[in-house]
Amino acid sequence: MNAPARYFVQGLLYAAFVAAVGYFSSAPAYQHLKPDQALVRLSFSHGAQRKQPCRERTPEELAKLAPNMRAPTVCPRERAAVTVELEMDGKLLYRIIAPPSGLAKDGASTVYRRLAVEAGRHDFRARLSDNARGEFNYSAQRTVEVATGRVLLIDFNAAQGGFVFR
Amino acid sequence: MLRMIQHAGRWFFHRADALFNQVFGDRLNPLYYLGAITYWLLWVVVATGLYLYIFFRTGIEEAYSSVEYLTVQQWWLGGVMRSVHRYASDALVLAMLLHLTRHFVFDNYRSFRWFSWITGVMLIWLTYASGINGYMLPWDKLAQFVVIATAEWFDWLPAFGGTLIRNFIAEGAVNDRLWSLLSFIHIGLPLALLAVLWIHTQRVAGAHTVPPWPIAIGTTVALIALALVRPVTSQGGPADLSAAITTIDLDWFYLPAYALLYRWSPAELWWLIGGGTLLFLAAPWLPPRRRSTAGFHVLVHPDNRIIPVREGEHLLEAALREGMPVPFECRNGGCGMCKGTLLYGSVDYGLYQDSALPAEERATGKLLLCCATPLTDLEIEYVPTGMPGNVPVRVFTARVAKMARLAHDVMQLTLKVQGDQVPSFYAGQYINIFLPDGEKRSFSFATAPHQRDHIELQIRLVPGGRFTTRVFNEMKEGDTLQFEGPLGSFFLREDSSKPIIFVAGATGFAPVKSMVEHAFYTGMKRRMYLYWGARRLHDLYLADLPRQWAREHDNFVFVPVLSEPAPEDRWGGRTGLVHQAILADFPDLSEHQIYACGSVAMVETAHPAFVAHGMSEHDCFSDAFKLAPQLRAKSAEMVRLGGAP
Repeated sequence: MNAPARYFVQGLLYAAFVAAVGYFSSAPAYQHLKPDQALVRLSFSHGAQRKQPCRERTPEELAKLAPNMRAPTVCPRERAAVTVELEMDGKLLYRIIAPPSGLAKDGASTVYRRLAVEAGRHDFRARLSDNARGEFNYSAQRTVEVATGRVLLIDFNAAQGGFVFR
Repeated sequence: MLRMIQHAGRWFFHRADALFNQVFGDRLNPLYYLGAITYWLLWVVVATGLYLYIFFRTGIEEAYSSVEYLTVQQWWLGGVMRSVHRYASDALVLAMLLHLTRHFVFDNYRSFRWFSWITGVMLIWLTYASGINGYMLPWDKLAQFVVIATAEWFDWLPAFGGTLIRNFIAEGAVNDRLWSLLSFIHIGLPLALLAVLWIHTQRVAGAHTVPPWPIAIGTTVALIALALVRPVTSQGGPADLSAAITTIDLDWFYLPAYALLYRWSPAELWWLIGGGTLLFLAAPWLPPRRRSTAGFHVLVHPDNRIIPVREGEHLLEAALREGMPVPFECRNGGCGMCKGTLLYGSVDYGLYQDSALPAEERATGKLLLCCATPLTDLEIEYVPTGMPGNVPVRVFTARVAKMARLAHDVMQLTLKVQGDQVPSFYAGQYINIFLPDGEKRSFSFATAPHQRDHIELQIRLVPGGRFTTRVFNEMKEGDTLQFEGPLGSFFLREDSSKPIIFVAGATGFAPVKSMVEHAFYTGMKRRMYLYWGARRLHDLYLADLPRQWAREHDNFVFVPVLSEPAPEDRWGGRTGLVHQAILADFPDLSEHQIYACGSVAMVETAHPAFVAHGMSEHDCFSDAFKLAPQLRAKSAEMVRLGGAP
C-alpha cells in the first residue's frame, strides 16, 4: 500500500472509530416509558404504631430498677409493619407489607414503587394500615387526570392527614 | 469453553493486528497501544473537565444554565470541550474494554499478573462510577434519568432500603448542595482512578503510559472533529421531577446497565454486576490452569547476566523487570524491535506477525522477546538500546599499542582507539571484541573511565581458546581490533556510603582495578577492601599495584589470598578460599557492598555464604551471583568477567 493510500485508510479507520463512539454515545434511543404511559410513584417513609402500648410499671418492677432508671412507664420499641394497598379503577395495582427498619424494628417503614400506567383519567384508592391489628386506618380516594409522560406522586404524611396526591 | 473463547479472541486480534499493521505500520498500530491510549484519553478527559469546571456552577438552576452557556454561547470552545470530554470518556471505555479483552484472550492475567488484573477490575468500577456521576451534573433530562435510576438501583441495598429515592422524589426535595456533593465526587473519583491507574502500571516493567505521538494526535484530532460534527447537547431541557422520562438518548458505553435495570429488577442487576465483578476478581485463579512451572533462568548476552523468568512471563518482561536495556516498541509481536537470538534452550515462540519474524529468521535462531516464553533454561542474545546512563553502545576500531606479559598466562593489552575516541563507560563495564567470523569475546576495562588516551585489557590465556591463543601466539603491536561497547551492568555504584568489599578471582582483578582507580580519582572516601584470590603467588600478577594503593590511601586495604600456595612461593599471607577470608574478617556483611568478579565456582560458593552472613541482595553486585545451577558449563564460563576464552 503506497503512502497516500495508507494515510487515506488511516483517516477512514479513525473516522470509523469516532463514528462508533459518536453513535453509541447517544444512540439507539432508549424508551423508558411507552408514549401513552404515565408514571405513578408511590413513595413514603412512615413510622407505624408501636406493636404494644405503653404501660405503667408495677411497684415491684420499679423497686428492682436502679433509682435513676425508675421511669414510671415502659414502652416496647418494636413497631408494626405498614401495609399499603393501591387500587386503580377498582383493580389492585400494588400491595406491600413494609416491615419497620432498624435492628430493634423501631424505625420507619419505607415504601417506594414506580408503576407505569396508561395515561388518562383514573380513580385511585390508597389504604394504609400502621397498627398491629392490621386495620386500614388511613384511606384516600382521588380521581386524577394523569397526562402522558407525567408523574403522579402518592406520598403519605400522617401529620397532613394521610395520603398526599401530587 | 474458555480456551475456545481465548483461541477465537487471539485469532481475531492476530488478524486485526495484521490488517492495522498494513495501514498504520507495525510501530504505530493503535491495537498495540490500547492501554496507553486509555491513559491518554483519561488525560484528555481530565484536561477538558478542568476547563468545564471553571464555568460550571453548582445549583439547581445554575447547573443546567452554566452547561447550556458553555454549549450554546461558547460553543466554539466550551461546547467543543464538553463534547470532547464526553466522547473521550466514551472512547476511554472502548479502549479500556479492548485492552482488557486483549489481555484476557492472550491469557495475560494469571500467575504474577494477578495484581495488574485486580487493579484493572478496580479501574473498571472507578471509570464507570466517574462517568455515571458525570452524567448527573448538567441536570438535564438525562441527568434526571441517571440520578433516579441510580437511586432506585441503590435503594435495593439494605443500607438504603428505599430512602435514597426520597431525595429525588419531587421538586423541592433537591437543593443546591446536591451539586456541591456531585462535583466533589466528580473530582474525587477521577483522582482515585488516577491513583489506581498509577499502581496498575507501576507493576508492569516498561509499561507504555503515553502512546506514540502520531496515535495520540490522531485520536485527539478525531475526537475534536467528532465534537464539531456532532456536538454534545443537553437533553430535553432542565430536569423536571414531576415529569417522567419517556425516551432518552442513552450513552451505551456507560449506561447499558441502566436500561437493564428496568428490564430486570434492581436485585437481578446487582447479582449480575456483583457476580461479574467477583468472577473477574477470581479469574486469575480459576481453571483452566496452565501447566505450572517454577520459572526458568536465562543467561542474557551481551549483559552476561542471568535473570529469572516467572511462570508465563515473556522474556521481554523479565528483561525489562531486571532493568536491561532491551529495545521494544509494540510488545505484541508486530514490530520486531525486540528480536533476539536463542543460543540455547527451547521456547514457546508465542503468537506474532510473520513479518516481524519470518520463518527463515526463526530457523536461524531468532525469536521475539515480547512473545517468547521459556520452556527450559535459556541463553539468549540481544542488541541493547543503551547502557547505564544512556551511554550508547557503538562499534570501535582500535590498534594494539602495547603488549606486556603480566604473568606467564596473563597479557596486558593496551589499545588505542581510532580517532582517539575512547568510549565513555562506567568503571566495571566491559567490551566485546569481534572475532573474524563475527563471534565475540568479552573483556573488562582495566582502565578507569577518566583515562581517555587508551584502554587496558588483561587477558588470561585459555588453552585452546580461539582469541586468547591468538593474543599470546600471533598478535603483535600495531594489529587492529574491532570491538563494541561499553556493555554490562556491573559497575561501581556511587550513590551509597557503605564500605565496599571487592572480591576478585584471577583476572577478575581487571574491572576491580578500573573501579578502584575511579574511586581514587573521584576522591571517594568510602572504605574499600580488596580480597584478591588466586591459586599460586604468580597468579597475583599485579599485586604490587594494590599494595601501593594501600600505602597511599588510608581508606584502602588489600588482602591477597592464595588457595594452593607452593613451598617456593614462601607465602606467609592468608590462605584458603577467598570468601572464607572475607567471612573470617566480616562476620556481619549487612552494612557492606560487595562487588565480586571471578570464576563462576568462586561466586557460586561465596554467594550463599555471604547471604548467610547478612549480605543484602541489593548490595551485592556480580552478574554471576544470579547463576542458575542448571546452566551448561560453557555458558557459565562466558559470564566470567575480566576475560573469557
